[in-house]
Amino acid sequence: MNAFKAIPDTGTQAEQQAWADLNIQAERLRPLHLAELFRADEQRFAGFNVTAGPLLLDYSKQRVDSLALEKLFALSDSADLRGWIERLFNAETVNNTEQRAAMHWALRVPADTELKEPVEGVYSDVQSQLDRMAAMVDKIHSGQWRGMTGEVITDVVNIGVGGSDLGPLMVSRALNDFAIKSSKSLGIHFASSMDGSQMAQLLQQLRPQNTLFIVSSKSFTTVDTLYNANTALAWLERSLGKCAGLMHCHFIGVSSKPEKMSEWGIHRENQLQIWDWVGGRYSLWSCIGLPIALRIGMEGFRQLLAGAHLMDEHFRSAPWASNLPVLMALIGVWNTNCLGINAHAILPYDGRLEKLPAYLEQLEMESNGKSVNRDGELVQLHTCPVLWGEVGPNAQHAFYQLLHQGTEVVTCDFIAPALRYHEARHTADAEELVSQHELALANCLAQSRLLALGEAALEDEGELPHYKRYRGNQPSSTLLLKELSPFSLGAMIAAYENKVFAQAVIWGINPFDQWGVEMGKKIATETLGVIRGEAAAAALDSSTRGLIDFIKAQ
Amino acid sequence: MHIDLYGDTLSALVTAGSLASTGHNVVLRMPQGRVRQQIIANKAAYSEPGLRRLISSGHTSGRLVYGDFDGLPGADSRAVFLALDTDESALAEKIVTRLSQVRERSWLVVNQSPFAVGFTEHLENLLRTDGVESRRSVVALPDFLQEGTALDGMHKPPQIILGCNDGYAELLVKEIFRPFNRDRDHFLVMSPREAEFTKLAITGMLVTRISFMNDMANLADSLGIDIESVRQGVAADPRIGPAYLYPGVGFGGPGFSSNVINLVDTLDASGVGSSLLNQVIEINERQKEYLFRRLWQHYHTDLKGRTIAIWGAAFKPETGRIDNAPIIRILEALWAQGAKVRVHDPEALPALLERYGHHSGLHYASHPYAAADGADALMVLTQWKAYWSPDLDRLRKGMKQPVILDGRNMYDPAYVREHGFTYYGVGR
Repeated sequence: MNAFKAIPDTGTQAEQQAWADLNIQAERLRPLHLAELFRADEQRFAGFNVTAGPLLLDYSKQRVDSLALEKLFALSDSADLRGWIERLFNAETVNNTEQRAAMHWALRVPADTELKEPVEGVYSDVQSQLDRMAAMVDKIHSGQWRGMTGEVITDVVNIGVGGSDLGPLMVSRALNDFAIKSSKSLGIHFASSMDGSQMAQLLQQLRPQNTLFIVSSKSFTTVDTLYNANTALAWLERSLGKCAGLMHCHFIGVSSKPEKMSEWGIHRENQLQIWDWVGGRYSLWSCIGLPIALRIGMEGFRQLLAGAHLMDEHFRSAPWASNLPVLMALIGVWNTNCLGINAHAILPYDGRLEKLPAYLEQLEMESNGKSVNRDGELVQLHTCPVLWGEVGPNAQHAFYQLLHQGTEVVTCDFIAPALRYHEARHTADAEELVSQHELALANCLAQSRLLALGEAALEDEGELPHYKRYRGNQPSSTLLLKELSPFSLGAMIAAYENKVFAQAVIWGINPFDQWGVEMGKKIATETLGVIRGEAAAAALDSSTRGLIDFIKAQ
Repeated sequence: MHIDLYGDTLSALVTAGSLASTGHNVVLRMPQGRVRQQIIANKAAYSEPGLRRLISSGHTSGRLVYGDFDGLPGADSRAVFLALDTDESALAEKIVTRLSQVRERSWLVVNQSPFAVGFTEHLENLLRTDGVESRRSVVALPDFLQEGTALDGMHKPPQIILGCNDGYAELLVKEIFRPFNRDRDHFLVMSPREAEFTKLAITGMLVTRISFMNDMANLADSLGIDIESVRQGVAADPRIGPAYLYPGVGFGGPGFSSNVINLVDTLDASGVGSSLLNQVIEINERQKEYLFRRLWQHYHTDLKGRTIAIWGAAFKPETGRIDNAPIIRILEALWAQGAKVRVHDPEALPALLERYGHHSGLHYASHPYAAADGADALMVLTQWKAYWSPDLDRLRKGMKQPVILDGRNMYDPAYVREHGFTYYGVGR
């Protein structure tokens, strides 16, 4: 078991000192209510916001002041954050348990870059795969990707799970307004769950002749994905017959393992490659993003990459005080380690971002849900908090009760675009829709205000009964986008990715592995044998045996 | 009668030439462009049988003269015809507005152009500017010309649909068309809106018959039935009749497709929409790729490096036009799969050249057998007379693979197969 300490006795002298200093600040700030901080400084917003590209981060509703920030910056320095950022971007082996670099950032380096390649050929490999993907996108958009009978492909199903599902799903939903004309009639669907739920539904509504499957799996061994893919293959074969043309016409594979794709039957021409050095949850920028490109076109996809690249450059070069991802990271560290808050809610005030909470749950919790440091020792500090979320206005009718009046302290990220519905395609209904957007924005700002200030936000309410009181002091950040576009979304996702890396550096952990998800897969294989009656149940615990008995009795 | 006619469409030329041939004095006002140049040079602007001679003899007689498109009709002009293209409605507005500005003058405008339903009324509103008391009206006279037999259609019309709300205008139009209205009264008079809609409904009905037969052909395919026998059986029913029952690789042409689409647009804009016509068009578009699908399956979904011969680019025989013709979709599909194409057509190669220029995947063949040289398959897309009875032995010798895809069911499958060919028809 981890023994948690306010000041860890691992790490350098400087780090321990930085933690000690921070604890003093925490002692000082803990009793202060956010309402008091705002009262003490009329211009608090001016000192506690930062912009980067199309993003504005307001962290004035966090329980920090400039002195605490200074100590947080000192902590970053003591943890050699600057050095680690350079190590990341120089393709050093930052993923120590798997002995490799993490180069998702290389996926968004533009073709005409003047940046030096840290590993020879990486940028041109990336561009050549993007070009191959562009050719496929073009063929599908122009109605020239043919099924086995020569019919035009009208529906594409992305089969993948985790990073091969959440990223493409989240982004293509978010950017649906940017769908290009020729993709309007193209159906893009996602199947991820291993129980086949989505698959079962899709197969009922789609026609085999017109359906193309993208099998996306970094390792191409993911059971969930392969089971879904096998179901798809059998479905196609039942109506189109078994033949080589079927694989050629109806399957695209995206993986870092070409030989595994070939083994499964993916035609060489239809194989898109990713690389070992990109983690699944960081892979939407690669050919894993094919469904995104199918939705918004290659130009839109390159905009998404450009936004992310802008954020990478910002992350590498900006001083801590104006570095948006680093500030997000340090605020998180402060809340988790100094204020002891272990829950964090993601609250987008834009229905298009409905999958963002799920996406960030994976990004943050799979990356930083670790309790062993880079040296293999148990960490003495809490790491990633529990993340969850929901589209804000809908969550207001669900768990906001707990945020306002529950016993748990929760930090929140409010996310919203400033502009919406100003594009030409909305002109007909613009007026009504704009007023709906204004309503959402008003709610976003009102909720974060009430959470921060509590009743103090309401001047003339007088004495309230206990059950109507709002204690406030719930810290939150607000992330505004100029508008939700491929470029700004790219920048925002990259900001979160870089935040996660910065936090991992401070906590001394490796954010790029996920050993915690391995063992379960192995045990499931054994359990499957028992459920199917192929193996003896004797070795199992009584709970599992009991459950299996119930299942088999049905 | 003195008549002015604006436009350079097939309908413009046929009307102008035919009216001049019966004694009317016609000023044909064509916009600058290829058609005008050809006509003035006494060349054929459309490969419509008899049209060049009609125009040229009208011109020789002095009753057909060429005027300025931007000019106004002379003082003795009694009727102004508009025979413009679907997409030239703005030009029609401009012409009518100019007429309206001539004060104290009566105008009869006859709109033959396939614009949206209601457009004739709209033109009449433009013509009747405030305060003008002179007699002015715009009538709708939709054309029912079929390319290839346009002159016959003009001279012996089964019916003349006139959309007209004004008794005097009706008399005048009937007077103009008296020479073509001899054996009985062919005029059906209704409101302009009804006339415009009738034209669209007729087109819609015809293409529905074709798409229906194509749909049947697709079913016949999967049931191993020869659609040709079925077609003859269906055509024998007097309630149905034989016209427009031929399955094939889809209908095209400037009139046919755009009119149908026009009809669908008209309905969609009014919020009603015709789900039947949408289906009809969808079936037709799918049908245009029918032969491609057969070929794709024949070569096991790989056409890279194959050479495909095509006989017939025109959307139908006796015309050189390729507007909405099946060849357009076929070419794009074949190129997208890395195949090369060799095309022959007696009339339509210039139109093809104009559209695609010198394309590395396209060879323009001057002779049908030259097109088939070294080809992995031959597709027949237009039933030109010259294609009906090919020398199969000669064809086979020239081709790399003896495969015939007959998009118009012109050949006898058994006979073709006897000569060593693999034969694919539509629904057989």
